[in-house]
Amino acid sequence: MRFYPIVVVALSVAACGRGPATGTRIVVDDAGRSVAVRPPVRRIVSLSPATTELLFAIGAGDRVVGRTQWGTAPAAARTVPVVGEGLRPNVEAIVARRPDLVIAYASPGNEQAVAALGRLGIPTIEFRIDRLEDVARGARLLGPVLGDSAHADSLADRFMAAIDSARTTTDTTGPTVLLLAWTDPPIVIGGTSFQSQVVRLAGGRNVFADIAKPSAEVSLETIAARNPDLVVLTGAADTAWTTRAAWRTVPAVRAGHFVRMAGTAFAWPSFRALEAARELHQALMRWRH
Amino acid sequence: MRWIVLVAVAIATLLVAVALGPVHLGLGDVVRAIGGGGAPTTVSIVRDLRLPRALLAFLVGGSLAVTGAALQALVRNPLADPYLLGLSGGAGLGAVLALALHAAGAWAVPAWAAIGALLAIALVYRLAIVAGGVLDTRILLLAGVVVGAFAAALVAAVLALSPAREVRGALLWLLGSFEGTSWGAVIVFGAYAVVPLAVLYRASRPLDLLSLGEEPARFLGTNVETLKRVLYVAASLLTAAAVAVSGIIGFVGLVIPHAVRLVWGHTHRTLLPAAFLLGGILLAGADTVARVAFAPVSLPVGVVTAVVGVPVFAVLLRRWTT
Amino acid sequence: MDDLIFAARDVSFRYPRADTDAVHAVSLGVERGELIALAGPNGSGKTTLLRLLLGVLIPSGGVVETFGRAAHTWDRRALARRVGVVVQREEPVFPLRVREAVALGRYPHLRPLAPLGPKDREAVDAALARADATALADRWIGTLSGGEWQRVRVARALAQEPEVLVLDEATAGLDIRHEMEVLELVADLVRERGLTGVLVTHNVNLAARFVDRLAILDRGRAAAVGSPAEVLTRDVLERVFRWPVEIVPWHGVPQVVALRAAEAAGAADPAGWQSGRVAGGAGEAEASGNGDPE
Repeated sequence: MRFYPIVVVALSVAACGRGPATGTRIVVDDAGRSVAVRPPVRRIVSLSPATTELLFAIGAGDRVVGRTQWGTAPAAARTVPVVGEGLRPNVEAIVARRPDLVIAYASPGNEQAVAALGRLGIPTIEFRIDRLEDVARGARLLGPVLGDSAHADSLADRFMAAIDSARTTTDTTGPTVLLLAWTDPPIVIGGTSFQSQVVRLAGGRNVFADIAKPSAEVSLETIAARNPDLVVLTGAADTAWTTRAAWRTVPAVRAGHFVRMAGTAFAWPSFRALEAARELHQALMRWRH
Repeated sequence: MRWIVLVAVAIATLLVAVALGPVHLGLGDVVRAIGGGGAPTTVSIVRDLRLPRALLAFLVGGSLAVTGAALQALVRNPLADPYLLGLSGGAGLGAVLALALHAAGAWAVPAWAAIGALLAIALVYRLAIVAGGVLDTRILLLAGVVVGAFAAALVAAVLALSPAREVRGALLWLLGSFEGTSWGAVIVFGAYAVVPLAVLYRASRPLDLLSLGEEPARFLGTNVETLKRVLYVAASLLTAAAVAVSGIIGFVGLVIPHAVRLVWGHTHRTLLPAAFLLGGILLAGADTVARVAFAPVSLPVGVVTAVVGVPVFAVLLRRWTT
Repeated sequence: MDDLIFAARDVSFRYPRADTDAVHAVSLGVERGELIALAGPNGSGKTTLLRLLLGVLIPSGGVVETFGRAAHTWDRRALARRVGVVVQREEPVFPLRVREAVALGRYPHLRPLAPLGPKDREAVDAALARADATALADRWIGTLSGGEWQRVRVARALAQEPEVLVLDEATAGLDIRHEMEVLELVADLVRERGLTGVLVTHNVNLAARFVDRLAILDRGRAAAVGSPAEVLTRDVLERVFRWPVEIVPWHGVPQVVALRAAEAAGAADPAGWQSGRVAGGAGEAEASGNGDPE
């Protein structure tokens, strides 16, 4: 992922400075807009679970005054009031929280809400955290805006370093894994998703890494032909589908080789992705023996 | 003769549906796998996945086409299709609720869809019975549209309150799919469909007469009230089963009867069997395309039938008006 | 022997949620081989009476028998093999060729899934010929004129090979030529083939010239039943149609001429007319009574 340039107009923050920034900052967000943010930023509404978690991680958790209902990590986030959905957000509920910064998920469906917030004078940054690199990128982007880039930057650096080192030590002949998001019809997670990245970090290979999309519907026969060693389940605990004759054409389903990754670390990209990769790695090793 | 061509195309379509798929298999391997020989994965794919799927798609397509033809005669409207009776809305609502509430069981979604469809059928039927116990087909149409719209609104509400993953899964289910078809489904649907299909076929002559209007049909020997009820119940039950087992697949019931009429005429005695075959061909073919067109990614089969169905319908409309 | 095709005895019928009977205490018999017309103004109950005779409606009072059995107990297919009905208006939804449309008349004779046999095809050809519609046989019914479509439907009724032919306002809306053709055809069939004919019409004059007997209905009651000469009197007609008329004979058959105001002034009893003899109203109804066939 490319770094988006952060243009500082007024006095810039010294590299190790932790004091409050003075003057407006211009941030170029993922929608290509230049957003003027006036520090200090004390009340933030976060419209995606990944952003919510990231804010807590870089030490700005106490400034989060609004979140979406899916933003349940870390535990402290649950006390933050819910302002509704992240897609097509409820502008009124957001405004009621009196934010001085809103971080929305960058998507065309949110354009109207973002424009409405802009008209009300509330700076809104659109950001996408879809892959692991975006977590670091987000930390680096938000650090200066929140007045503490040193901490955020160091977190980002350590995270990326850990990822890089994990990548170089993976075994390229690891077990093949099917990332199953839905069963009726079968929806699998493709190569451009962060879950696919986590699988790689854990030493496995996503059997549908060739699909250059976050997810897609595929035919059962394709799954059967690619014969993954393990099926990673995300989502609900229902297993009734494993008894269906059509699904049992997949050897891993027949043999019951499942791994359940239920935590939120596997639901959206965060600094805890490494933990998730470790957990998955252990499961893969267990399967091996 | 036309029948020979139709049957030949039907068999060919089924063969192609088994031979082609996102997983490339050689023709020799496919043939051997049907007999049980060859690599276990290949045998599995051919016998446990492709064969039942192709057969079910054929059966469902044929059933939808026959139902469409019968309904067009019943409501005396060439634009009628099996979903006009509101039951697709009921089925969709049942299925979406099953998904949103995480109903347990491998057959939960089809079962809930079937129940939703039956409730919609009963409601529409009740609305359409006017004074004197007469089934008014115009009110039947209106009631079907209204019930369908109401159900669709509820579906939208449920989806709006559901997490993104459930929404996507539900939408894909609604758009129709033969994924996960097992031999059990084929046998159950096949056995179940025989009765309504036979009932509809046996009503071929009365269907011809009903197209003239209720009064002329009555004076030509039709028990109009009984016939309307029987047709409605048979058509609804058959469509409900089709929707429960494969989602809402449009255009088959609407377009196939008209295409068949162009060649076979309006006599239902020949129209219905021809519609069954052509409907099966369309749906089995569409399912093959849905699997293969963007392999390994699958399209919902309803998308393919719409993309094929709309231009065909446009052509038919032109032939109709000239 | 009295071979009554239809026998109505004191029959009454009221539609649901109606205030009055559509048909009240009507007695009428239709004999085999006769041509009879049911006539009367709109709303007089002609079509309701016909539906009672054909077993489509169940009487609320009295008895209706068709071929000696209670009318509504007849199996419709069995009845359709003996009675052919041509209704006034018919709009099929799907295009058909004339020959196919006429072939539908054979359906009462066919077993559920049996195809048309050679006998059926002969019957269709004969029916087309008899109705003078052979030239139309390969046309699409959507391309036919009103008169042609009517002839085709008469042919269809004939294809049923019925004993009775019923025309329910079937010539209304046709021009003179076509109307006369259809009525001549029906009269021929009654005379030559011994069919029984029932015409429901409000064109009293035309009916009078063709039929053996005439039943005039007035607001659900039988105002008069008998031969045209017996029935078409000023007394009856002015009461039923509530308009001054003059009866003019034409080849032995009375024809009704409705008078204009100026003509009524010069008529026999202008004072009578103005004094309310033809005012009509409910009080006049009891005078109509039940007309007996003989």
